[in-house]
Amino acid sequence: MLSLLLWLPLIGAIALLLAPPQWSVVRLRNIAGVLTLLVFLLSCYLLSQFDLGNGGWQFQEYHAWAQPIGLSYSLAVDGLSLPLLVMGNLLTLIAIYTITGAPHETTAGALRDRPRLYYSLILLVNAGVTGALSAQNLLLFVLFYELELIPFYLLISIWGGPKRSYAAIKFLLYTAVSGLFVLAAFLGITFLSQSTSFDYGLLTTDGLELKVRLILLTMLLIGFGIKIPLVPLHTWMPDAYVEASPATAILLGGILAKLGTYGLIRFGLQLFPDTWTLIGPGLAAIGTISVLYGALSAIAQKDIKRMVAYSSIGHMGYMLVAAAAGTRLSILGAVAQMISHGLILALLFFLVGIVERKAGTRDLDVLNGLMNPIRGLPLTSALLIAAGMASAGIPGLVGFVAEFMVFQGSFTTFPLPILVCIFASGLTAVYFVILLNRTCFGKLDNAIAYYPTVLLSERWPALALAAIILFLGVQPQWLVRWIQPTTNALAAQFPTVLADQFATQQPTLAPDLPPAMAHR
Amino acid sequence: MSSLFSQTAWLIPCYALLGAVLALPWSPGFIRRTGPRPAGYVNVIMTFLAFLHSILALIEVWGRSPQLLSVTWLQAADLTITLDLKVSAVTAGAAILITGLNLLAQVYAIGYLEMDWGWARFYSLLALFEAGMCALVLINSLFFSYVVLEVLTLGTYLLIGYWFNQSLVVTGARDAFLTKRVGDLILLMGVVALRPLAGTWNFDELADWATTADLQPWVATLLGLALLAGPLAKCAQFPLHLWLDEAMEGPVPATILRNTVVVSTGAWVLIKVQPILALSPIGIDAAIFVGAVTAIGASLIAIAQIDIKRVLSYATSAYMGLIFVTVGTSQSEVALTLLLTYAIAMSLLIMSTGGIVLNNISQDVTQYGGLWSRRPVSGLCYLVGAASLVALPPLGSFWPLAQLADNLASDYIWLLGVLLTVNALTAFSMMRVFGLLFLGEPTPMTRRSPEGLWALVLPMVGLTGFALHIPLLLAVLDLLPGRVIALSLPALALLGSTLLGAGAGLVPYGLKRDQVPVKLSSPALQDFFAYDLYTAKLYKGTIVFVVAAVSNVIYWIDRFIVDGVVNLVGLATMFSGQTLRYNTSGQTQFYVFSILLGIAALGIFACYPLLQDLSLIAAP
Repeated sequence: MLSLLLWLPLIGAIALLLAPPQWSVVRLRNIAGVLTLLVFLLSCYLLSQFDLGNGGWQFQEYHAWAQPIGLSYSLAVDGLSLPLLVMGNLLTLIAIYTITGAPHETTAGALRDRPRLYYSLILLVNAGVTGALSAQNLLLFVLFYELELIPFYLLISIWGGPKRSYAAIKFLLYTAVSGLFVLAAFLGITFLSQSTSFDYGLLTTDGLELKVRLILLTMLLIGFGIKIPLVPLHTWMPDAYVEASPATAILLGGILAKLGTYGLIRFGLQLFPDTWTLIGPGLAAIGTISVLYGALSAIAQKDIKRMVAYSSIGHMGYMLVAAAAGTRLSILGAVAQMISHGLILALLFFLVGIVERKAGTRDLDVLNGLMNPIRGLPLTSALLIAAGMASAGIPGLVGFVAEFMVFQGSFTTFPLPILVCIFASGLTAVYFVILLNRTCFGKLDNAIAYYPTVLLSERWPALALAAIILFLGVQPQWLVRWIQPTTNALAAQFPTVLADQFATQQPTLAPDLPPAMAHR
Repeated sequence: MSSLFSQTAWLIPCYALLGAVLALPWSPGFIRRTGPRPAGYVNVIMTFLAFLHSILALIEVWGRSPQLLSVTWLQAADLTITLDLKVSAVTAGAAILITGLNLLAQVYAIGYLEMDWGWARFYSLLALFEAGMCALVLINSLFFSYVVLEVLTLGTYLLIGYWFNQSLVVTGARDAFLTKRVGDLILLMGVVALRPLAGTWNFDELADWATTADLQPWVATLLGLALLAGPLAKCAQFPLHLWLDEAMEGPVPATILRNTVVVSTGAWVLIKVQPILALSPIGIDAAIFVGAVTAIGASLIAIAQIDIKRVLSYATSAYMGLIFVTVGTSQSEVALTLLLTYAIAMSLLIMSTGGIVLNNISQDVTQYGGLWSRRPVSGLCYLVGAASLVALPPLGSFWPLAQLADNLASDYIWLLGVLLTVNALTAFSMMRVFGLLFLGEPTPMTRRSPEGLWALVLPMVGLTGFALHIPLLLAVLDLLPGRVIALSLPALALLGSTLLGAGAGLVPYGLKRDQVPVKLSSPALQDFFAYDLYTAKLYKGTIVFVVAAVSNVIYWIDRFIVDGVVNLVGLATMFSGQTLRYNTSGQTQFYVFSILLGIAALGIFACYPLLQDLSLIAAP
């Protein structure tokens, strides 16, 4: 089943590359779209088949591939990867139907140049993410992790904004280094623990010296920290997000960045439980700094896309703090935060893309009064308000649920960083109010406001995303139900010194779960 | 007796929510043929249903123990959040007040916004408010109270920003949102911190817990202050009061709700968390102090305003200050009664002046005069509202205020002084406005001023009738203090202060309007109050300045230091005058170098807490 999810987009990518050149853009897009929809529905089917009582691996597939080097084709998902995988498929679908940005489009909103390559690259991204999320072999993971770079590099450097080659090179270098660090750490883990196989379930770091474990974990932290990104390794990110087309930005922020956080939890927290508790305070500090740094930098922006990009740094910081705390609730919150951030960021980039496309600018000092019902973009503005508020953590939308779990789960472990994080979520509100006040509110300049109408075909992805964000905000049980079994088992690995204050006061609430992570 | 309506009390907020959704199709661009007005009618009907339901629920729970409803909202790891509802006589009564005032405000809006195009948005937002407030009074959980307060913060932002074309509206909406959000987030800190301590967010269980809780004083103090912050911002207390003043840029029907029941949501939550506040003497003292300072300060500022809506908005802050004092001195019952009488009186004042603002265009009281002969109904309603607001027997607010005065007289004599002062100042400012509007000679602005449409007059007159019956209602509800209190010295002093203030306001501004020019001896002092103690400047000079400066510095560092290292090589190309080619080998090396620098910094930083451990490991 997982193989199907992996190979369908891959085959689709190749097929699209080989498509007859006279096929229209719309046709190519619909082929890619239908294929992704199929993959998305398949992944939803996996959700329905997921055994909620089991926090370990499910839907496993194993084929020996290159045994001498310890590489195997081994796929499986658990509550950590499956929700991310479903979200990845959803966002790919959204991205396929996202407008690509002014210079690359015809007036009808269709792509102008090299559509076959474009859609096949997007499908390739999807396949790579699915592979990385379900890989059960460290080398296989690195393979997919690195594979992602190529389509993204091309997507940025071909269909990007004016400074695209700069941004693409920066992105490529940074993330290649990230891959190197991850690979080095994986090699270290395997060789030092005298394992002959890179299979995830066979590896353990228990036998290693503390110093070695610290070094390996730091390497992983740096490798994934670039991808997430964490301050001060983030400078590739605003440029890449801003220069990339909205569709690429959705994929970058919604899916690719999540590989970093996923890797950190999967290979950092889960492989190095003891060491993780040691460096927890340091991680919390980095996370808190990221939160503050992202929020404050966002306030100073004049370009709405750049503002959204910096906001992303801040929101990833929450995730790190929660992961560092390592309680059941906080790890759950961290994963929930990945999902919620992916959805909200995708919506934001999508809407910013529409604003840029229709109003012709992203400059806060130029935009004004888009809420105007006749000449403005009223529905886009309404959705932008919803997205901004979701990102700022207003209850009733999914951002709040995730942030609240982060705050509540980590508070007993890191009270002070959490208070700072709550303060920073006030700063989030500041820049989103700046953004909304300048773009949506105010007076529309009638002299320049000859905006093309936003077609329904251009707006349904935003409506769908907004509906999901609202639904998960009101009914958060649907967000946590698949994640919970796995994160509970993850947290059970930790020495529960810090977490048990909660547990003792809530004796009846904790459902019984397997005490240790079942790797196989 | 059946309990159908109290068991289904959760429907009360749902009617309004349904109305909000139903109004949306009349947004511009969807249904064009009917115009936007059906959106309003739908919501009036839904609000009426909610009103009816609340009354039936009250009849059912009257004299019986409260109905408790509970449903699990989220079960995540070791956190279970239940949505607890409590349907008691008090909460059902509060729901009646909210839905009733909403009904009146929505009918009023039919007249007030007659020519407006944005009905769908407006009525959706009013309905959102109604739903939020009804939910808040029914909810019996601190967590969901916070949730509702935060949603209402967003609602405030959108509702104040209703006329988003005007720049003052935009800044007003922004400030309201951010100020309230500050309060909300500090409240959130309290909510988060309370859970590990108390293990529950249910108000009843929290009250039980507070009786036995043994907290360290600093924990209790911080907790109390955090829980105080939410209500403080909602109730527009110093120093977070500016938003209410700026919110006056919004339309009047929204103001009717905002200045009465919306601000009261803060007071409601304050009453609910009072047992936790009482754990810390500093927390209680802070509530009393903030309330007293706001009450006096805001009533002074109100006198110096020439904008009629701002006079009323500062009176709102002042009365909320009194509520803070009341709650701080553990008189929650009195506070609830005062909230009721205050809400009725204040909505009457806003309705009667709103109609005048609508016809006569200006909000500047100095432009008015002589309206009594032209708009006697508005004048009468205004008078009833003013008389119900201040302590004037036998009308509404006298009774809770007299009770309050009597309670304060025994323990907090200086607070009695505050109460008398505020009452006198409010009476003064109400009569000042009355004199300026209705008495004297007509001015160019008031030459032509008929009473408004039925939609404006009917709610106003109906509410006047209700306001006149409030003493009877209080008697039925057994909320009237005894004769001993009504005739006690503090109560009489209260009456005296009312008469003194009203007389002092009426004479210079009304009867002898032309003879006595009213000026404070010091213009600087007058400006000080007129400009709201220069709070806007204070904000600008402190918090706004700091946040802006820090974010600019951070961004500067990001661009020129963190990213600058990456781009340093650009300098060389600038000197050589060539275009930037970023993928030359020299630059690539530089990227790698800068990445390594960042990595090194991060690595050292991450390991910093461990250096000690490492040396321990290395030493043996």
